[in-house]
Amino acid sequence: MLLELKGITKLFDKDNGVRDFNLTVSEGEFITLLGPSGCGKTTTLNLIGGFLQPGRGEIRIEGRDITHLPPEKRPVSTVFQSYALFPHLNVLENVAYGIRFYRKEKKKQALSLAREYINIVRLEGYEKSKVGNLSGGQQQRVALARAMATNPKIMLLDEPLSNLDASLRHSLREELKSLQRQLGITMIFVTHDQSEALSLSDRIVVMDKGYAIQIGTPREIYFYPISDYVAGFIGKSNILTRVGETIMVRPEDIKMAKNAQGDYTISSIVFMGQHTEYIISAEDTTLEVVVVGKENNNFMQGDRVNVTISHQLGQMGNEDISLVPELK
Amino acid sequence: MQYSRNMALLKNKIIWKERGNKSPLSFDVLIDRIMLFLVVGSLLLFILYPIFMVISTSVYRHGVFSLDNYRDLLSPVNLKLIKNSLFVSTLSSVLGTFLALCIALYTFLQKERIGALIYRLLMTTLISPPFVSALALIMLFGRRGLITYNLLGLSVNPYGWQGIVLLQTLGLISLAAIMLISALNAIDKRLLLASRDLGASALQTLHRVILPSIYPAILSVLFLLFTINMADFGTPIIIGGKFKVLATEAYMTIFSAADLGKAAAMSVLLIPPAIIAFYFYRKNLEKNNSLADGVKALGGEGLDFRLPLFIRIALGTITGLFFFLMLLKYGNIFLSAVTINVSGKLTFTWKHIEAFQFAYLPAVYRSLSMAVIAGILASVIGILLSYYTHRRQLPLMKPIEFIASLPYIIPGIFFGLGYIVGFNNHPLLLTGTTAILVLNCTFRHISVGNKAANAAFENLDRRLEMAARDLGASPVRILTTVIFPLLKSTFLLSFINTFTACMTTVGAIIFLVSPRNVVASVLMFKDITNGHYGLGAVVASVLIIVTVAVNLVAIKYLGREGGKPYVA
Repeated sequence: MLLELKGITKLFDKDNGVRDFNLTVSEGEFITLLGPSGCGKTTTLNLIGGFLQPGRGEIRIEGRDITHLPPEKRPVSTVFQSYALFPHLNVLENVAYGIRFYRKEKKKQALSLAREYINIVRLEGYEKSKVGNLSGGQQQRVALARAMATNPKIMLLDEPLSNLDASLRHSLREELKSLQRQLGITMIFVTHDQSEALSLSDRIVVMDKGYAIQIGTPREIYFYPISDYVAGFIGKSNILTRVGETIMVRPEDIKMAKNAQGDYTISSIVFMGQHTEYIISAEDTTLEVVVVGKENNNFMQGDRVNVTISHQLGQMGNEDISLVPELK
Repeated sequence: MQYSRNMALLKNKIIWKERGNKSPLSFDVLIDRIMLFLVVGSLLLFILYPIFMVISTSVYRHGVFSLDNYRDLLSPVNLKLIKNSLFVSTLSSVLGTFLALCIALYTFLQKERIGALIYRLLMTTLISPPFVSALALIMLFGRRGLITYNLLGLSVNPYGWQGIVLLQTLGLISLAAIMLISALNAIDKRLLLASRDLGASALQTLHRVILPSIYPAILSVLFLLFTINMADFGTPIIIGGKFKVLATEAYMTIFSAADLGKAAAMSVLLIPPAIIAFYFYRKNLEKNNSLADGVKALGGEGLDFRLPLFIRIALGTITGLFFFLMLLKYGNIFLSAVTINVSGKLTFTWKHIEAFQFAYLPAVYRSLSMAVIAGILASVIGILLSYYTHRRQLPLMKPIEFIASLPYIIPGIFFGLGYIVGFNNHPLLLTGTTAILVLNCTFRHISVGNKAANAAFENLDRRLEMAARDLGASPVRILTTVIFPLLKSTFLLSFINTFTACMTTVGAIIFLVSPRNVVASVLMFKDITNGHYGLGAVVASVLIIVTVAVNLVAIKYLGREGGKPYVA
């Protein structure tokens, strides 16, 4: 195991912090910590980075206890939210900073090594630019290069895409993923954006109120959420009671068929182009249904429909992850 | 994406021994501890200890604890002095605050460029050696005054309480107006728009929104002026004639009677108004901080806000008149340096400048080096103090920071006295050295750099330091490679303020100079009190020129560095 977090607890007050957090990360993995703001994900990152000391628990890298090492001695580096680039240094000097102080290279050698990393993130020609004059996407690349330049065993990324506009965020997400895949860098990524988490991660840690609620692959998290909180945070879900049993169903797993005597009435329609969201209601239940494609898209408000459920979200419980059947 | 090249370079190949198991007390950590110790230790020794010594001197007589010094203060003679002090200080503080408010309002309501110009002029008039106003008053409007006697043929007696009030009022208007303008600029401009939108006239808005918003600032200015005026001994000595005040008596007691206990008790009496001023100052700061949460970037451009014409004319006249008097003052100083007024005729002379050359150059040089060293030291200590208090959030630093702000509010005479009684014995024998002047000036002005650094740190993303540590820099490295480079403009700002204040100060250091370590501002004060007005004018001119020159160099450097600290 590259990284082991054993029973990490760090409480700021009654409601804030991280509680009994356990996680093992193997080399080359891309792990995402996902949760709403205040759930403890940045705290976890700061504990791994060494900016905070845990109240209890142990952090190991390659079996070696680093719990009490200060940040400047840990083999991890961080890409900070809003990047924290040094405004008084140019791009080259920013990237060289860690090579000088962490890898303890001479200044000249550090600057020439830094150029290599600048090439990797494709910022050739910007070496002498002040970081304040770069665009958001370019700053993000500088931050990435600066963090990589210390040759970290693990890179920590704190919402690195959140300051960018939507289209740039999308393309940088792709770049980050391919960078990670090709270089095999182990990354721990913090976000509150479920689509980032699903598209980037090998495994996702869903967090709430300081607890790691569920750890699993994106598919496991999406199709087998262990609680309605997880199901509600990643994607949408309907909660139904059927013969005394509560089940969860994704809106896209409900099929509607028009029927004049149907149980449900369509009460609202939101057309989103790619898909259409319907709210349908019977006497005591309201469901959200998502329909994709033009041919199924002929329902009107007030239509009566019957529904069939094609898949219900399974309770994972303690069952072995590998036993989960492959989904079509 | 093509990331494949340079892959070899990026293999995770960290070598543990590079960052081996150093003991927790590495060299850098040691330096960090030493710096912290120096900052805290020096603040305790050079601020808290002298203050404590003044109070302790005031309650001891002949080595025995007694309150006799205070009882003596209540004698009829002293009561008369206290009454005089209260009368003069109240009058000049109220007048000064009112006129400064008029100028501040006028500036606030001008177009941005004119407002900035007035503000800059006000800043320039801050560069004024003490008592040059008194000098100007005597030379222009005195018994043999250029205007009263030469032009109008009158012989006016400027001496007396009226002269004191006039000079104290005029002398502090620049400072007061600058503080009030800052308070006015902190008002969210949208409040004014909202007020107009809801049907209030401009005058009603002034009355109901603007003035209430800056009320704590007005009180703070009022008590600050009161504190400074109460402690002002120079103006009454020069222009008071037979009219004596408490501060003058304290000054005389130190110099003539050498009764330090009595002088200490007198200067303790000057403290309460200072504390009240400080209270309102803090309250004002808190208010500004709580208001500063929202967006207030909306500029005054395009904002239609016109007060009634007669008010605008009144405010404009006061502002114009003030600057006219300032022009007169500076003009007179430069003129007096090269002229002599013989029987109603002004004649050119090199006499004063020659006299200056022979005797005064070492003093000017000493002033300059003292102000430069104090400026650098005060700024560095102020920034470090802010760093340890607010950035590292070390325990017990908040009270230390409060101690550092004390010299800024207590009267100079008190702080000077503290150095006399505190450092006149082994092992802390500093009396008569240049060091004691530098220390006094330095620790009097820590607060300026400290406050500026606090503001700069608020705008500096904490993650910059986290990033630096993450990239392997030790705390000391972070200071030298991140904090200090980013606070360069804060440092310069603090340096300019401290330098200017030290070049022109008399209040605290006059008690600390001897012929061995005399500085220019004190020589000038003595020249004026002895009636050598021409020579005093030369010293004043030199002080003004040197100070302005250093300011210009620093401001130019500041401009090149981009002006204000980077906001992440």
